[in-house]
Amino acid sequence: MAVRLKTRSAVWAAVVLAIAGTTAGLSWWRASAQADVLRADPDAILRDPRLRSVALTNGKRVFDKHCAACHGPDGRGDITLGASDLTDSDTLYGTGSVAQIEEIARYGIRAGNKHGWNLAVMPAYASKVPDAAEALPPQSPAQIEDLTQYLLSFTGRTTDVSAMKRGITAYTKAGCWDCHGRDLGGDPAIGAPNLTDAVWLYGGRPEDIRRTLQRGRAGKSPAFARVLTAAELRNVAVYTASLAHPGQETK
Amino acid sequence: MSKQPPLASDPQVAIWDIHQPVGRRSMLLAAAASLIGLAIAGYGLFTAQGTRTAAVPAEDAALVNNVPILRADLIAQITALYSVPLAQTTLAQRQKVLEDMIREELYVQRGIEMGLSNDDIDVRQALVQATEGQIAQDAMTSKPAEDELATWYGSHMEKYASEGLVTLHEWLVPRGSDGQQAVAALRKGAAPASLGLKTTGRVDDGEEFYFAAEQHLGEPLFAIARKMEDGTVSAPIPMPDGLHILQMIRNKRPVTTPYAQARDQVLADFLADKVARLQAGNQRFLKKRADIKIASDLK
Ligand code: HEC
Ligand code: HEC
Repeated sequence: MAVRLKTRSAVWAAVVLAIAGTTAGLSWWRASAQADVLRADPDAILRDPRLRSVALTNGKRVFDKHCAACHGPDGRGDITLGASDLTDSDTLYGTGSVAQIEEIARYGIRAGNKHGWNLAVMPAYASKVPDAAEALPPQSPAQIEDLTQYLLSFTGRTTDVSAMKRGITAYTKAGCWDCHGRDLGGDPAIGAPNLTDAVWLYGGRPEDIRRTLQRGRAGKSPAFARVLTAAELRNVAVYTASLAHPGQETK
Repeated sequence: MSKQPPLASDPQVAIWDIHQPVGRRSMLLAAAASLIGLAIAGYGLFTAQGTRTAAVPAEDAALVNNVPILRADLIAQITALYSVPLAQTTLAQRQKVLEDMIREELYVQRGIEMGLSNDDIDVRQALVQATEGQIAQDAMTSKPAEDELATWYGSHMEKYASEGLVTLHEWLVPRGSDGQQAVAALRKGAAPASLGLKTTGRVDDGEEFYFAAEQHLGEPLFAIARKMEDGTVSAPIPMPDGLHILQMIRNKRPVTTPYAQARDQVLADFLADKVARLQAGNQRFLKKRADIKIASDLK
C-alpha cells in the first residue's frame, strides 16, 4: 500500500511539474519573442518567421476587437464610414509601412491627439464657409455637377462632356488643387486622396461624389495610445500591414 | 525527540504518507512554496504594465528620470528627419535624434520643476487643449453600436437633410408703378419686361443652394422665398429701394438623406455630442474635487 502510494504520488508530481515547466517555458518564450518584436525595426518583423508569428497571432486578436468594427473583419473597409480598405496597397497617409500604421493606431487620425494626423478635411462646398481653415469659394449646384463630371472622366464615366470641360476650370477656381494636387494625384502628407483612380474612400458613384463635394468629409480613426499597450499596438500594426502584403505573409 | 510520534521505519515511505507528520516533508513543501511565490512575484515585477526597472523596457528607447521615450516616437522622428526608412539610417543618426529627444525631455522636466506649466501662456494653453483633447480621444476609441447610431439619426434627421435648391427671379417695380397690378399680370403669365420690371441681378445665376440664395436675398426675402411653390409669384414686398417681387421657378426643398448615406456624419456628430457631454462632466468633476476660494467681493 505504501509503495503504491509512493509511485502514484511520484507520477502526479511529475505531471504537475511538467505542466508548470511547459507553461513557464512557453510564457518565457512568448515574453522574450514579444520583447524582440518591440525592439525590432517594425518593418523587418514580417520577414522574420519567429517575430512574425508572434505579432500576427496577437495582432489579429487586437484587430478583431478594436479595428474590425470600422475597417471590417477582413480589413476591407467601409465606404459608409470612409474607413479605408486596409488590404490594398493604396494608402491615404504615408506609404503604409508598419511604423506608420502603428503611429495611426497609437495617435489616430483627426482623433484629438496632436501627434496624430489632423492637417486637412474635405471642405463642404455647399455651405457658406466651406472650410474653417482656408478661405474657399462655395460652389453652385451647377459647378458641383461640373466637378462631378470632371472627376468621373478619370474612370471613363463622364456623361456630359461640356460639363466635364467646365469642371476643369472649376477644379482650379475652387482650390481643389491645393490639397489634391494639380494632377489630382492626392497628397499623402495630409491625407488627401488620389481622385483619378478607381479607389474610393466614400464610394465613387456620382451621388457619392456629389455628397462628398456638397457636405464635406472628415473620417476619424481613433487614437489607442491610452487603450492598448505598446506590444498590442505593434502587433496590430504588423497584422494590418500583413493584410496589404499577403505575399510576405506566406513567404 | 523522544516526545515526537514514532516515525515510520522506512523514511522514504513515510515522507509521502500524508497520514504521518514528517519534519522533512514540511520543510520541503515550505521551500517549494516559497520558491513558487518568489517566481510569481519576480515574473510580475519584471513584466507588469508600467513597471519601470533598472533595465529599459522593450518598447522604450530610453528612460529619462524614469520617463520613457518610446521607440515608436524615436522611429517617427528619425524617418521624418532623414526621409528614409529606418533600416537605411546609421546608428550615429539614430543616436543623434535620441540625444535631441532626451534633451527635450530634460527641458520639459526642468520646466515643470520651475513651475512653467503655471506661468507660461503658451504652455498653459497647450495644457488646456491637450487635456480637452485627451477626453475627446478617449471618447472615440469605442465605436458606438449600430442601434445607438440609428437612434441618434432618427432624432436628428433634419441635420442630415440635403441643402435645398431654388431657381427664382427677383424683380424691382419701377417707382410710381402699381406693384399689385404687376403681380397680377405676372401671375397671368405676362413677360416681366413688358411690365417695366427689372431684375435686381442678385439671383440671376440659375439654380442656387438655399444658403447662397439667403446670402443673396437677405434673410427677410429668403424667408418668403423658401415657402413659395413652383411657378408662384409673391405679393409686392416693400424694401428700402422700392417694391420687390419674387417669382419662383423651382423650389426643391431639403430632403432627408437616408441613414446609409449619412452614416459617416452621424458617427461624427454622435461622437462630438458624447465628447461635449464628457467635457462638461469632467469640468463638473474638477470643480467638485477642487478647493476653490473666491474673494468675498466677487462671490
Ligand atoms: C471608429 C472607426 C474606426 C476604428 C475603430 C478604427 N479606424 Fe482606422 N480609420 C477609420 C477611418 C474613418 C479612416 C480614414 C481616415 C481618413 O479618412 O483620413 C481610418 C484610417 C486608418 C488608416 C489609414 C489608412 C490609409 O489608407 O492610409 C489606418 C492604417 C488605420 N485606420 C488603422 C486602424 C487600426 C490599426 C485600428 C485598430 C487599432 C483602427 N484603424 C480602428 C476609422 C476607424
Ligand atoms: C483643404 C483641403 C482640400 C480641398 C481644398 C479639397 N479637398 Fe477633397 N478631400 C480632402 C481630404 C483631406 C479628403 C479626405 C477626407 C477623409 O479622409 O475623410 C478629401 C476627399 C475628397 C473626395 C473623396 C474621395 C474618395 O475617395 O471618396 C473627393 C471626391 C474630393 N475630395 C474632391 C475634391 C474636389 C473636387 C475639391 C474642390 C472642389 C476638393 N476635393 C477640395 C481635402 C481637400
